[in-house]
Amino acid sequence: MTPVAAERPDRALAAVSTGARRRLLDLAASRGVHLGASLSVIDILVGVYDLTGFAPDRPSGHRGDRVILSKGHSVWALYSVLAEFGVAGLDDPRAGHPVEGTPGVTAATGALGHGLSIGAGLALGARLDGTAQRSVVVLGDGELDEGSVWEAAMFAAHHRLANLVAVVDRNGLQQEGHTESILSLEPLDAKWASFGWRVLEADGHDHAALRTALRTALDGQDGRPTVVVARTVKGRGVSLMEGDARYHYVQLTPEEHAAATRALVGTGQGAA
Amino acid sequence: MSTDTNTVTALPMRPVVADVLREAADADPRLVVLGADGQALAAGVRERYPERYIDVGIAEANLVGVASGLARAGRRVVVCAMAPFLVRRAAEQIRNDVANPGLDVTFVGVGGGLSYGTLGPTHHCPEDLGFFSALPHTRVYCPADVVDAAWAVRQALAVPGPAYVRLGARADRVVHAPDERFDAGTGLLMRPPGRALAVAAGAGVGIALDAADRLAGPGHTLGVLALTAVTPFPQERVRELAAGVDAVVVVEEHLASSGLGAATALALAGQWHGAFAAHSVHTGYPPIGDREELLAHYRITAGDVAASVLDAVRGPGAGARR
Repeated sequence: MTPVAAERPDRALAAVSTGARRRLLDLAASRGVHLGASLSVIDILVGVYDLTGFAPDRPSGHRGDRVILSKGHSVWALYSVLAEFGVAGLDDPRAGHPVEGTPGVTAATGALGHGLSIGAGLALGARLDGTAQRSVVVLGDGELDEGSVWEAAMFAAHHRLANLVAVVDRNGLQQEGHTESILSLEPLDAKWASFGWRVLEADGHDHAALRTALRTALDGQDGRPTVVVARTVKGRGVSLMEGDARYHYVQLTPEEHAAATRALVGTGQGAA
Repeated sequence: MSTDTNTVTALPMRPVVADVLREAADADPRLVVLGADGQALAAGVRERYPERYIDVGIAEANLVGVASGLARAGRRVVVCAMAPFLVRRAAEQIRNDVANPGLDVTFVGVGGGLSYGTLGPTHHCPEDLGFFSALPHTRVYCPADVVDAAWAVRQALAVPGPAYVRLGARADRVVHAPDERFDAGTGLLMRPPGRALAVAAGAGVGIALDAADRLAGPGHTLGVLALTAVTPFPQERVRELAAGVDAVVVVEEHLASSGLGAATALALAGQWHGAFAAHSVHTGYPPIGDREELLAHYRITAGDVAASVLDAVRGPGAGARR
């Protein structure tokens, strides 16, 4: 178990990521899980929960921050990361999407396109109350097909919700194939910028780069909401699954589990 | 008591509800009102507390998601929107983000049922009460006039958790005395039943009263139970009142399959024997018409209700249960 203190060194975060991936593969050996999209978002979740100062007895961190995993099908990554951060009782979770009551879970998600609106409402509430609380919403790139995301994006920019951060897990794949072949998202940075957001880019598997971007996003100094477009690889960390859409939703056979565990590679030094 | 042959007073619900919301905002500094490019209901709050009124624009899904976030931040939230767009565009947000977690959000839907009339079927919403009644933790109100509309909104806000209040789009006939007292658990028995009972809500209340006036006389007096709170449905009360009658009719501006028709039938099934008729909206595509014409199209009129009751109490099966 990793000792809990905000802003661990990058090496420690890389170890958390690897431990979480190992847990994730173990979960995937006993049930069907959304594996590819969980592997791509693990480093993002490690970075986000670390920066907010998450601890099992302090799920909203130092400032009452609220994290929403809007791409709820990646809940397996969330269980694995929270377990690495010391949350007990997540060795055999049953719910295939986040449910309220799990430490660190702000809202039950799974139907896509809901999280950013909820995060915007929380951010607006914090501003009305004059508190320092921030909202971080982790979105999938396929999720950006949902129109409600862009309703929320317009709303957040209009109200200048500088205490709202979106992180897009830009792994380039959705259930049936490449995002650009199903419904083009590019130019994605320009889309967010044109909606009035500050846009930061980061390698979503490089803890140092992620931390720099997330810290900037969370500083609230810009007067606008901030999106971090995190370039990731679906299946990242298990070399034989990387970029392979077949691992979107799977249960691993004992042989696959053994091979995947052997193929587990350390992340944290970037996607390349 | 007004009848369909006398002059009736009709008043819009919106200004009254706007006053109720302003009073609620006075009493609770944590109350905020959200709207979707429609400010009539928020007029009072907006004027007095501009920072506590947020217009999210024409974006109902986001409207409800933001309401969920604000409620999670500890706010008591009132969401005001046109019923058809609230119910159909934001259905998933209402269910997942507000009702499931049981948050303190009161939805006020303007123009439920057929009340937008000639604006057409895009604007009709004969399924709103059924939709909200299908959600966990959620109370549902369908006032008939300004009097119980004010009560319904106060009641919705007085109890923690999600609630929906359907308002008419235009003027609604005043059927209640200004000082009438309502009870969410029992409904209001406006006419005692003789051989028949009408279970009614919203515009159905005035129609049922008119039918009762037509039927006044020995042998087939029509009782009228007006339900402002439709969910939770007062099953026991309906069973109790039906126990002494030969016929039960439902009068509602809603689909029977998810409205008072279904709720009343479920309350009585297997426990009561008699004639039953639902004067409700059905799924047939409507003609262009104003509200009165549309109600007539669906046979939700005093004449149709009275005819149903007469058929039932004179029919071959009448009284068979005795």
